[in-house]
Amino acid sequence: MLPLLKKNPVDLVFSSITAIASFSVILFIIGILYVLISESSLAIGKFGVIKFLTSTDWDPVKESFGALTNIYGTVVTTFLSLVLAIPVAIGIAIFVTEISPNFLKGPIGAAIELLAAIPSIIYGMWGLFTLSPIMSAYIEPFLKKITANIPFVSILFQGTPMGIDILTASVILSIMIIPFTASIARDSFNLTPAVVKESAYAIGATKWEVIKNVVIPYSKLGVFGGIVLSLGRALGETMAVAFVLGNNHRITTSLLDAAATITVTLANEFAEADNDVYLSSLFYLALVLFVMSFITLAIAKFFLLKAERKYSR
Amino acid sequence: MTRAQQRKIEGGIALTLSTLAAFLGLFWLVFILGDVLVHGIKALNLSLFLSDPAPPGMEGGGLKNAFIGQLLITLFATMIGVPVGVLGGTFLAEYARGRKIARIISVLADIMVSVPSIVIGTFIYAILVRPMGHFSGWAGSVALSIIMIPVVLRTTEDMLSLVPWTLREAAFALGAPYYKVITQVVYRGAATGILTGILLSIARVAGETAPLLFTSFNNSFFSTDMKGPMSSLTVTIFQYAMGPYEDWHAQAWAAAFVITVFILFLTITGRLIIKWRYK
Amino acid sequence: MEVQVVADTTEIEVKGLDFYYSGDIHALKNISLSIKKNNVTALIGPSGCGKTTLLRCFNRMHDLYPHNKYAGEIIFQGSNLLSRETDLINLRSRIGMVFQKPIPFPMTIFDNIAYGLKLRGISKKSELAEKVEKALHHAALWDEVKDKIHASAYELSGGQQQRLVIARALAVEPEVLLFDEPTSALDPISTAKIEELAGILKNDITIIIVTHNMQQAARISDWTGFMMLGELIEFDKTDKIFTAPSEKLTEEYITGRFG
Repeated sequence: MLPLLKKNPVDLVFSSITAIASFSVILFIIGILYVLISESSLAIGKFGVIKFLTSTDWDPVKESFGALTNIYGTVVTTFLSLVLAIPVAIGIAIFVTEISPNFLKGPIGAAIELLAAIPSIIYGMWGLFTLSPIMSAYIEPFLKKITANIPFVSILFQGTPMGIDILTASVILSIMIIPFTASIARDSFNLTPAVVKESAYAIGATKWEVIKNVVIPYSKLGVFGGIVLSLGRALGETMAVAFVLGNNHRITTSLLDAAATITVTLANEFAEADNDVYLSSLFYLALVLFVMSFITLAIAKFFLLKAERKYSR
Repeated sequence: MTRAQQRKIEGGIALTLSTLAAFLGLFWLVFILGDVLVHGIKALNLSLFLSDPAPPGMEGGGLKNAFIGQLLITLFATMIGVPVGVLGGTFLAEYARGRKIARIISVLADIMVSVPSIVIGTFIYAILVRPMGHFSGWAGSVALSIIMIPVVLRTTEDMLSLVPWTLREAAFALGAPYYKVITQVVYRGAATGILTGILLSIARVAGETAPLLFTSFNNSFFSTDMKGPMSSLTVTIFQYAMGPYEDWHAQAWAAAFVITVFILFLTITGRLIIKWRYK
Repeated sequence: MEVQVVADTTEIEVKGLDFYYSGDIHALKNISLSIKKNNVTALIGPSGCGKTTLLRCFNRMHDLYPHNKYAGEIIFQGSNLLSRETDLINLRSRIGMVFQKPIPFPMTIFDNIAYGLKLRGISKKSELAEKVEKALHHAALWDEVKDKIHASAYELSGGQQQRLVIARALAVEPEVLLFDEPTSALDPISTAKIEELAGILKNDITIIIVTHNMQQAARISDWTGFMMLGELIEFDKTDKIFTAPSEKLTEEYITGRFG
């Protein structure tokens, strides 16, 4: 505390109020963790930890629950969406920082910000009504056709293209995380000192070589942090995928099958869970999701802070 | 082909791909916004705002209940979230400035900003909905306020940190105690920034659906009773879009249009203020 | 106007003052000097010599930061202002300060000056208006701002802002005013105005000014202290310091051989 404070009782009161307000953040985190653990204790007792995480059962009638199908759906959609989003996001960042003429920088930057501001339910609904029919009518049959004779890859595109499946959900999720990743990558690129770039140009490097050999290596910590942050967000995204993933508790090898993520299961089943074990298992799922995303976000924050410290030197 | 030519071609390809990526980003925005605009405007009419829902499957009716519910839930969330967030940010930037605890809370708040919002819904269900015995507007507001607090807290911290320290010294030199320095001088210096942060945080929670699914739930009837289940635009969009009726789909588009316009308006206003004030 | 008190009444007596920044950086070493009432005292010396550090001891500005330590005494009107019992809020209303850069508060011109008065509990509109006007006259700013007194203080020029800040400090009728290089961010014309103002103000109050500019010290001060590496090398009448310094270091500094 600043020493001046000791003299004034009102300051003591005001500083205590602000302290309590800021500690609420810690309280929420501990509170969420405590409540989720105690609510899921019934399911933890019944299914344990390892068995719950590795079981593919999800049977409300027999009251037998395992998280694996949900974790599988979450991991697959998240991974696929990152694969689709990262190249585009980095491309956008390169364009905005290094290529774009000045008059385009503003509008494209603004478009990215707006894309990030659109609520996820709009993405989800748009996915259901607009993207899903396009996927089932054109894109999925096309992918099926060109991969049909390629061993292993064809497994990914088996089944009837319905548009309500892992692929569509991942595409929507990727559109949603492009702006997060792009804006962090752009900010990191912008931190590359002009002198460093100029010295590369001075030895005759092309623009792309400067980007590839100077800008990207220089900012890789920040970009990586941004990617992990997007991963954290994608893990917990609900509404963008809830519309188009179906709710299918099976592990499938085809991207054209419906699946379930932790979030989608919670959104569809939580309010309808009609017995204690069922509800407790859903809380258990929420706990797994909370821990997964908290750790991911903490790692992201770690890298972003490290990057910040490096650049501010 | 010479080495120099090869390098030039490689560069050309890479830069073209980057440019295409940027336009792909732009393309999605135009596609999604355009779609929401076209479908939304078609379905807009006065009765959407003025009447309550017709029974399922029947034509007509409106979403007055959802508009009012959304407004109430967001309003009360703001009334809880803003004071707590602003005061919390004040602690980090002023009384605890430079201290370890300020850094820790700041990092945790950053993480909280991105924690899955549906988890916060389950948390509120356990501590408010079940003890009360039923879904309620209050539970929805509290869930949204938990999402809002870290956002407002972090922007307040940042904005207060931008106020030059010399301004505080000048006020101290006049003999002001710290709380007056903060409330009467520093807050004024950071007012635009904090206000913008609040606008953007409202934009953030106004579009939230997942934390409302099992807190405020839904209500097909008009209600201003925060103690009971309450309809919201976002949950209604989810329910209507997934439902079987054409008329529901049209109304979902209209609701999506209204909420998108509202959120983009807040976002653009916020960005413009930042640009005008800080650049 | 007050009756001019005998020119050598002591307002502030500094006795054996040491000051340490956090981490035991010994910034002021055994400083002793007396500040005469209704005089202008200038503190000069190369950057980092401790002149600003000394100035900020008089209103205990260092107390804003943890782990700063004082030793010795500063006697102000019979009591040691460095003692634990000193009410800093009261002290700072009696010893005002003007900073290097003009720092108006984000308020109107009127509110900037009324702010200090309101802190003292003055809330009557008429009394505020009267005192604000008096302070603006006192700081020679009234004629320039009387038509836009409710405009934002940021609309004033740098020189006007600095006089506004002086008016803000004067409004609460302090006995001493500390100036920390008040003209280093100003153009020559604004500087001249502030210097002229200091000459008038000393009829009512005691002024201590830290300056980088030796000509400024020679022009406006009655007493000058020359500091180096945290020590007060020489303290004497300004005429004496600039014409016949007793220390070799002082002479070298004022003739421009270093610093």
